[in-house]
Amino acid sequence: MGLELIIPILAATIQSGTPILYATLGEMLTERSGVLNLGVEGMMIFGAFFAFLVSYYTGNPWLAFICAGLLAGLFGLAHAVVCLVFQGNQVVSGLALTILGVGLADFLGTAYVGVSAPGFSPFDFPVLSAIPVLGEIFFKQDALVYVSFLLPFLFWFFMNRTRWGLALGAAGENPAACFAAGLNPVKLRWAGIYFGGVLCGLGGAYLSLAYTHLWTNNMTAGRGWIAVALVIFAFWRPGRAMFGAYLFGGIMAFQMRLQAVGATLPSSLLLMLPYALTIIVLLFSSARGKGRQAPAALGVNIEPGE
Amino acid sequence: MAEYVNKRTNRGAFAGQAPFVRLQAISKHFGKVRANHEITLDIRPGMIKALLGENGAGKSTLMSILSGRFQQTSGDILVDGALTAFHSPKDAIKAGIGMVYQHFMLVESMTVAQNVLLGQEKAFLISPKEQEREVAALAEQYGLPIDPSATVSSLSMGEKQRVEILKLLYRDSRVLILDEPTAVLTPTETEQLFDAMWRMADQGKSLVFISHKLKEVMAVADEIAILRKGEVVDEFKEADVPNEAVLANRMVGRDVELALDAQPVELGATVLDVQGLDGDGLEDIMLSVRKGEIVAIAGVAGNGQKELVEVVCGLRKPVRGDVSILGLEWHDFYPRPPRKGRSLAYIPEDRQGLATCKFVDLVDNFLLTTRHSFTTGPFLNRSKAVDTTIEIVEQFNVQPGHIDADARALSGGNLQKLVIGREFFRQPDIIVAENPTQGLDISATEEVWQRLLEVRKRSGILLITSELNEALQLADRIAVMYRGRIIDQFPKSDTKKVEAIGLMMAGVTPE
Repeated sequence: MGLELIIPILAATIQSGTPILYATLGEMLTERSGVLNLGVEGMMIFGAFFAFLVSYYTGNPWLAFICAGLLAGLFGLAHAVVCLVFQGNQVVSGLALTILGVGLADFLGTAYVGVSAPGFSPFDFPVLSAIPVLGEIFFKQDALVYVSFLLPFLFWFFMNRTRWGLALGAAGENPAACFAAGLNPVKLRWAGIYFGGVLCGLGGAYLSLAYTHLWTNNMTAGRGWIAVALVIFAFWRPGRAMFGAYLFGGIMAFQMRLQAVGATLPSSLLLMLPYALTIIVLLFSSARGKGRQAPAALGVNIEPGE
Repeated sequence: MAEYVNKRTNRGAFAGQAPFVRLQAISKHFGKVRANHEITLDIRPGMIKALLGENGAGKSTLMSILSGRFQQTSGDILVDGALTAFHSPKDAIKAGIGMVYQHFMLVESMTVAQNVLLGQEKAFLISPKEQEREVAALAEQYGLPIDPSATVSSLSMGEKQRVEILKLLYRDSRVLILDEPTAVLTPTETEQLFDAMWRMADQGKSLVFISHKLKEVMAVADEIAILRKGEVVDEFKEADVPNEAVLANRMVGRDVELALDAQPVELGATVLDVQGLDGDGLEDIMLSVRKGEIVAIAGVAGNGQKELVEVVCGLRKPVRGDVSILGLEWHDFYPRPPRKGRSLAYIPEDRQGLATCKFVDLVDNFLLTTRHSFTTGPFLNRSKAVDTTIEIVEQFNVQPGHIDADARALSGGNLQKLVIGREFFRQPDIIVAENPTQGLDISATEEVWQRLLEVRKRSGILLITSELNEALQLADRIAVMYRGRIIDQFPKSDTKKVEAIGLMMAGVTPE
């Protein structure tokens, strides 16, 4: 294979990886605050649908993108109510959120299936797109991809170099210590769930605004679940999340390309690839070591009066 | 035990100053339980106040109220003479009152500096270098040596405690409450802590020292208040602090039999025989225990006791050497050891983690190791287990005696009594007891000791203890461990060697 074949695949890799990157960072933020939210898939598709809807009626994709994030965050707050107000089971609540989100998007979206809406198109990033090879791969993308390049760095900076980030991390590691330090771990977790949901919604919005410019059912196709797995694969660190997201983006792009060139393999087998990789990745990342642990209080509810 | 020399330099400067905090007629009820009743207490600047009392006397509850974790049912808190209400620890911290909890409240994955500054950062953006400099300066001022850039999970218990203290000092706390601070410390760390406490008091801080260790209280405190059953029963100021025996009497409300009468009993078969056990930090361990005797392993914690216990109890495979338990080779005894009858019972140090399950009731905790006595095939005779648990709870005086309470509702001493009752029920031939009275008050300690002496009639006991007094009270023979080796073992009657135990614990073999 020559460069002219590889470069489009790599460029497609970035594009396929971007929604996963948004969602992975979203789930990572929520988990760092100590809450496991399995509703990523639901929040993503919720975001995808409202991004489409807002863009369809207003014609403004940026407005659509932002609305999708804010609304998906609000949708995710259902999880916060269950886990933070009623100390419900985080796994069950997250699963319910996914089922609800997927069902709701299907139900509301039936009338719009196949309808297109304005979205984001690739453009050459000034200067950087002129770099040979790398420019072709990374800097002939759409605006949302460029935003996503910055996210892992912002995430790291927020968690390690800001007051709020450290407080959020403390809520996920040891809520009692957080409380004793005069902070409110429950409020921090509300924030973790909300802004995590916002990022998941933005990932979904990418699918209907940039990846495609239309609405179809089951748009997310399990990407939310891949994001959940990637958080573990990334050991809750944003840099590795980026690597993981592009790894999966690569597999997705690769299997589409294989289908396109008419490979003799059955297509269902190819479609299975990303999900098979998810299991393999989880197997390998189960080897824990120093600095690789999950937030110590992940999935543990804060009981009132403690 | 080491003798402490009080190194305060300017206590006189604070004499007669007005109290910084006054607790006035504080009462606290948890449902029907009365944890504190009408407690009045002054906390004065530059003074170390000791709160002395048994487990469950209400010391921790009172201090949780003062530090804003609990709200009192009735009574007032006066700070600088003004009525103040604490709704959360935040309010108490603002008022200058902070607490070092028995279970540290630290974020393990963060650095020392991040922990100290958590919630106190001056700006939105954070510079780790700047934070570390600040914490280092503070540590220097109060004599609390620590590396501010170290991750908390890599620290020793003593260092973690220093981080807790630094957190309070950083918040300009004027009152520092230390809840059983020495329970987790080595003797050296204890001395360092006391030095730091005196230094803080000399700089005008008020310290509240919660403890039930008389020697330490006598050594470190300027004022002593004794709590019993939720009430202050006595208060002593600097000059009129009485002797240890008097304090002990006031604390438990009856005479304590501090010395036990341990008559030797007839020896039986060898129940544990360790020959040349090596590896995992252990070096050529030779040890045997016979029915009818208590063999105490004395030594500073961390000198191989844990590894030895884990091998004997089947938690770790012996690397080299022979271990035989009840006449069976280690590999034949484990991994399917007999559950009842000729069995081995383990009373671990970690009674809340290893010995019991926090969130299940006493019956299920009782069944953890005794279920084989209540089963027919796959079926469990639970009503019989309930009856037996009630008997054990009564026989071993476990308080409060509700068997449907979760294990976490029990204090450390009562939980230990339950564990001991459970293990004795199995009628084991050999018992491994690891610091069985650590963190227990005097009356519970005495009860545990009596039980161990009694049970010696039908089983051999391997006692691991870091309290020399415990070894001297209970043991028939004493072995001293240092750096994975047994330095020497001798009968308790060998007074010359008993005298030299302190030296042996430091690795010196007297000839």
